[in-house]
Amino acid sequence: MNGYGGSILRVNLTDNKLTKEPTPPELARDFIGGRGFGIYHLLREVPRGADPLGPENKLIISSGPLSGMLSAGGGKCDWTTKSPLTNGYASASMGGHFTAEMKYAGIDTIILEGISPTPVYLLIDDNKLQLLDASFLWGKGAIDAEVALKNKHGEEFQIAAIGPGGENLVPYACVNHDFGRQAGRGGVGTVMGQKKLKAIVIRGTKSVPVADAQAYRKAGIDLYRACIEAEGHDEWTRYGTTIVTSWCDEVGALPTRNFSAGSFEDGKNIYGPVMRKEIVITDKGCFGCPCPCGKYSRSRRYGTYVEGPEYETIGLMGSNLGIGDIEAVAEANRLADDLGLDSISAGNTIAWAMECYEKGMLTQEDTDGLDLRFGNIEAAFAAIKKIAYREGKLGQLLAQGVKRAAEQIGKGSDKFAIHVKGMEQSAYATHNATAMLLAYMTCDVGAHHNRSWAITYDLQVGRDKVVPEKVARIIWLQNFRPMFDVLGSCRLQWVELGIDRDLYVPLLEAVTGIHRTWEDLEAVGDRIWNLTRMYWVRENPGFGRSWDLPSPRFYEEAPKTGATAGQITNYEDVQCLLDMYYEQRGWDDNGIPTPQTLQKLNIAVQTH
Amino acid sequence: MTATVRPYGILKEYINHQNETQVAAGQTIRQAIQSFRMPPEVVALVLVNDEQQDKDYIIQDGDYIKLLAVIGGG
Amino acid sequence: MRLYVDSAKCSGCRACLVACSLNLFNESNPKKAALNLIGHFPAPGVYEMKVCTQCGNCAAVCPTECIKLNERGAYYVDFAECTLCEACVAECPEDVMYVRVELADAAWKCDLCGDCVQVCGTGALWIAD
Repeated sequence: MNGYGGSILRVNLTDNKLTKEPTPPELARDFIGGRGFGIYHLLREVPRGADPLGPENKLIISSGPLSGMLSAGGGKCDWTTKSPLTNGYASASMGGHFTAEMKYAGIDTIILEGISPTPVYLLIDDNKLQLLDASFLWGKGAIDAEVALKNKHGEEFQIAAIGPGGENLVPYACVNHDFGRQAGRGGVGTVMGQKKLKAIVIRGTKSVPVADAQAYRKAGIDLYRACIEAEGHDEWTRYGTTIVTSWCDEVGALPTRNFSAGSFEDGKNIYGPVMRKEIVITDKGCFGCPCPCGKYSRSRRYGTYVEGPEYETIGLMGSNLGIGDIEAVAEANRLADDLGLDSISAGNTIAWAMECYEKGMLTQEDTDGLDLRFGNIEAAFAAIKKIAYREGKLGQLLAQGVKRAAEQIGKGSDKFAIHVKGMEQSAYATHNATAMLLAYMTCDVGAHHNRSWAITYDLQVGRDKVVPEKVARIIWLQNFRPMFDVLGSCRLQWVELGIDRDLYVPLLEAVTGIHRTWEDLEAVGDRIWNLTRMYWVRENPGFGRSWDLPSPRFYEEAPKTGATAGQITNYEDVQCLLDMYYEQRGWDDNGIPTPQTLQKLNIAVQTH
Repeated sequence: MTATVRPYGILKEYINHQNETQVAAGQTIRQAIQSFRMPPEVVALVLVNDEQQDKDYIIQDGDYIKLLAVIGGG
Repeated sequence: MRLYVDSAKCSGCRACLVACSLNLFNESNPKKAALNLIGHFPAPGVYEMKVCTQCGNCAAVCPTECIKLNERGAYYVDFAECTLCEACVAECPEDVMYVRVELADAAWKCDLCGDCVQVCGTGALWIAD
């Protein structure tokens, strides 16, 4: 099948059974790839009510038709599972080079099933498939494990591995790859750890068939040239995602001290140019990227290397912890990567604990003696390690995620647990940015930014305005942006360089032989969005409107300092945003897609 | 005593879609931005002679100033 | 004319490898490319890229004389005449002369098509005298 590896690899870890089946052409036609394949298999194959940490849950890794191809940024694969963090839909996007090896090994999707009796890793060398003993790796950090596996199998192999956080079932454990890329959010690393699968080692050397090689070459080069010649290409590439740090600080979107403010008085010390000057040693690109945001850094102070930190980690392990020290942020980032924790959820959860500590809701007895003040670098490092090993009272508390930790502590600490649906909010403070707030409220995995991002739109329309245009914008972004995760190509070329998205149309056609406009693709995006919504409905009795509410911090407590001092979104406006959103989506007042909407999208999901 | 300002992308709208324009030295970048009726908060990054500066930087004679917009975030 | 590389600018993205295979074989397969990317991670955290300098050592030792000059003045492998003897591989000072029998029926090398330069986003690759 043109543009595809052509097969689904099914790995049953309970029975040590590895089988391949062809990727059905109608699946490729209707769901295209990546996230589309993920939700399709999740809904069909993981039974309703399955325990995310039980043998019935599956981990589904999918590439897309542009993954591994001559498509600017074709380095993305999707990791879908039932989330142990939220009990809902989890889909994490991972960059790097893993997805290309999948395609060139002839595999579109890897479905991991069951639970291995002992630690193993999966070796895929083209058609050679094996589960191998991983007892020598169990307990190792993700980076050490990657080094060991590269040494054992060779430089050509790509590796995705979990760290101790995944082994110890921390519900926001990530998968680490290529010394610093992650499938980060929602606990995909936790599910991998629960299956006792330490790593996947993969190499593919086959050619991927394309519909029209000459048209593919031309469309591919056209897309690359557009990126390379785009205004801002050089500046973006120099700083990567950290290009926004100073701006977020200026407009009050930089999460500071557990999102109590959006500007940080030590912000200047964690801005992109400071980082570039102080610690960056090379640009590090994902597969096929002409504008690599990856920055590889060395800390002299700690004697360590890390990819990043990128903006999210700077926000959550820097300003949000009150740490204005780029080298310390880099080291916190390295710890999280190596220990296999999502740096967003970990930073967010530790910030909550710091606020609890400063408010006396947690004492030194609860923190195992740590002086868990904002800005205490050593305490932050110690907390990260405790979480990964579930060590002591603090480690056990925070290794549940911020929602459950706040439920355990009580005392009103849930008011400043910054999450939606149990997923910790990523690094945009949303006290006065109503479109962005709605984006977080309605994101299909919880409070994550990558489905839709709208702070500039908020600024353009008026930050506190609650108008249908903002809602329409969010819906359009939610249907459109995740299509990059379906195609297997990164969205940042479009997002950051502003290239014409129609450049992808001839490329996709040359690769797959199927002509699809963005209108066609957005229709698929709309369908996927409603399917993921129905997954939440199916898995969580009582799911509805209240699940879409943000942290009360954004409607009850205005920041005292910074660019958004005194600014807040009214609770009535929060509800009004949902009213408009549900109406425009064709969902009922409780946020459930109506039968008419589902029928229109040709969706049938059994929910009871 | 002038400097050159080069706004990128959508920011060109504020200088009639030209590539560059001249501004007087001695004022802050913020003042120069406001003189184009450009809201300072739409400018994500200010580079003066390829070094990042904040919007309170006082423009020097001969500076080459790039203004970058935030397009779409993360 | 030949291809040059500044490894310090390379981000290891492999776009060049895909473009190379597409031009050389009319196939999408970065393992069938004529540039040699070696990552040194986690430490010291650098990429090393090796490219063909068109030194001609390969052509000089080829017993079937199947490594010839093209219109760009670059040495290329005439696939039909290659016997896979691998004499050229040992002579290549940059490790960019490839024989992988499981992937192709002939040796392959850089023929200076320039597509890698077109897709390199960091300016690590260029063609000059």
